[in-house]
Amino acid sequence: MTFLASHKKMKELMTNYYFEAKTTQEKPIAWVTSGAPVEFLYAMDVLPIYPENYAAMCAAGHQSLELLEAAEAAGFSQDLCAYARTDFGVDITQGGPASGLPPPHFLLCSTNICKTVIKWYEVVARKYDVPLFIVDTPFLHDGLSKELKDYTISQFKDLERFLSEFLNRPFDHKRFVDVLALSREASVYWRQILYLCRTIPAPINSLDSFIHLGPIVTLRGTRECVDYYRSLYEEVAERARQKIGSIPEENYRVLWDNLPVWFKMSRLGTFFEEKKCTLVVTTYANSWGGLSDFQEDQTGDIYQAIAASYLNVYINLGFEERIQYLARLVDDFSLTGFIMHSNRSCKPYSIGMYRLQEEVSKLTGKPGVVIEADQNDPRAYSDAQVETRLEAFIESMAPV
Amino acid sequence: MFEPFHEIINNVSATILKHEKELGRPVIGVMPAYFPLELIYAAGGYPVQLWGNNLPLEKSDAYLQSYCCSVARSVLELELSGIAKMVKAYAFTSLCDTLINLREIYRRLFTKPTVALSIPITQTQAARQAYLKTVLKSVTGGLEAVTGRQITPASLAEAATLCGTTRSMQRKLYRIRRHKPGLIKNHDFYSVVKAGFFLPAGVYNRMLETLLHELDTLSQPQGRRPQVFILGMVFDPLESYKIFDELKIDIVDDDLANGWRTVSKETLRVENLVEGITQYLFNPAPCCCIYNPDSDRHPYLLKKVTQSGADGILFWYIKFCEPDAFDRPQLMDHFKEAGIPAAVIDMELSMSNFEAIKTRINAFCEILES
Repeated sequence: MTFLASHKKMKELMTNYYFEAKTTQEKPIAWVTSGAPVEFLYAMDVLPIYPENYAAMCAAGHQSLELLEAAEAAGFSQDLCAYARTDFGVDITQGGPASGLPPPHFLLCSTNICKTVIKWYEVVARKYDVPLFIVDTPFLHDGLSKELKDYTISQFKDLERFLSEFLNRPFDHKRFVDVLALSREASVYWRQILYLCRTIPAPINSLDSFIHLGPIVTLRGTRECVDYYRSLYEEVAERARQKIGSIPEENYRVLWDNLPVWFKMSRLGTFFEEKKCTLVVTTYANSWGGLSDFQEDQTGDIYQAIAASYLNVYINLGFEERIQYLARLVDDFSLTGFIMHSNRSCKPYSIGMYRLQEEVSKLTGKPGVVIEADQNDPRAYSDAQVETRLEAFIESMAPV
Repeated sequence: MFEPFHEIINNVSATILKHEKELGRPVIGVMPAYFPLELIYAAGGYPVQLWGNNLPLEKSDAYLQSYCCSVARSVLELELSGIAKMVKAYAFTSLCDTLINLREIYRRLFTKPTVALSIPITQTQAARQAYLKTVLKSVTGGLEAVTGRQITPASLAEAATLCGTTRSMQRKLYRIRRHKPGLIKNHDFYSVVKAGFFLPAGVYNRMLETLLHELDTLSQPQGRRPQVFILGMVFDPLESYKIFDELKIDIVDDDLANGWRTVSKETLRVENLVEGITQYLFNPAPCCCIYNPDSDRHPYLLKKVTQSGADGILFWYIKFCEPDAFDRPQLMDHFKEAGIPAAVIDMELSMSNFEAIKTRINAFCEILES
């Protein structure tokens, strides 16, 4: 991992966030999915808690295995998403770095990242006997349409009504507009940071971006989030200006598709550094940068833009769009190849990947490799198998 | 009595080719689950339901990971191996992440048209109706493009009656099984249901009518054997029901996506198609794949199991089916609290050795009998 002074700030930010989550007496707690329109919650002083983020922290801290086993002992199949299983384990043992999550008052779930989250949150809703609000964002087989946006907007309006009734006060539209502006500002900074990696050598790598995306996921819509990413941007921009690379020598520049393997971050970091290969860009971290892509229309209708942003998430896109996007990243970031993580825990990200790899390679002329792994379950990972495949892949690339 | 149905499922390709020729309608492969066959009939198509098979997975592994369910993998194998060459187009629903992406794979690999019924699961009623209207426009337009025929109110009404009759007769079959356990062997029962996946509804209805007449005249066998309820997504592999027969266990009812959950659907109301399809998708049996807080699976299933008189429940789990697997632990606790024994049988459609399953079913039955 690249040494960044901002890392300390991020740790403070995340610690404060979890401290507030664990101690607040005033704010209602909502458990939310990573692709949910959290701006509606911040506008109403609801504290959003991200079980996905917590599960990732557990795995990054090498604590996921015991949590997975606790969930499985309670009957949850190993076939299920390891984030969900990790959090079910957290619920049973109160484990992980924050000793469990505060219980939710309600749940907000958006299907733009998968349909699995519906099932996951149904389990939680039943366990805690709390309301579950779902924002259904259908898969974009053929791109965005007015009907899809209208469908999503109707649900946003209903979400406002739900929040107003649940919290027994009117929805704060003025605050919502402010929160939205902060959310967008943070997303813009985040994207700019990630796009600084077009510089050769890349000033940070994707393992850094996986770590530093914590605030954009959890605190999107707050002033602290904007301040943090402004400061990170300045630090990374300075590295880019001075041509300081994230690794000492950069011969290869590759894309990482899908979630990281959280429990192998350090080992993979060392592996890629030794191979003089930088993970330059990732579709996963980019997703939160894309949340500012759509601006309000000429009528000033902000809902159109929010709907477009939350529908147009990478894994909610049809394969033609995914292929074109991946090919653009290969060009924009001067990549020498790409790695696709076939992630046992994330079917919407992974199913079809073999075909995508073939097509992107054909389109860009760059080699790609698919590795079989899992974001959170160490039992579904083999160092030898993954590293052998990666070594062969790196050997197949022409250097920058 | 059941031989004609076994004939069909032992000769699926020949059956489809024969009826395709006779009907002069394009064959449309229907992916799991709940795509209203009525729309395909009304458009002049011949729907064939694809719920997986036991083909060795030789070609599909190049496109689908081993952690995909064997339903998706085996259905893709059909097309890749050329067995499904008579299928002119495919109809999908947005049932799960796997099927959503599978449609994208089909669009990249094959030139056959696909239509997708995206199931809106929001509780925002007006939004759901408005969106479903646009989805249906796309689906019906897609089907009409495949068949070259327009869907008309008359063709829709005719199709609704045809498919409604099928399900009504299947419900009668289910009732007979519930009321006269042991009269229909388990393997025969699911063979009858499965034959309906491949036959044109008119032909199937005539066969069902004859069967039901014959069954009406028969009495329930003497003696009570262990009775179980099965719960899951698909009833396959069909071969496994011979185990129940061999062990003298009667399956008295089920909650399967290609069993009761579909069979229980009332005749599609076509005068207001959006409302009719909404009712069709969400009622009456709740499904693990379709979020519907208005219909809680826990009390629904407990009531259904209790009414069936089953001694215990078998969760019939096809590996890697997340929607099914998520619901299971809480459901098992729910049944346990009600004093109903439950066990899990997990399997893949492509399996050929059923010894382990037999041992588990046998062990479960010993628990029931004790």
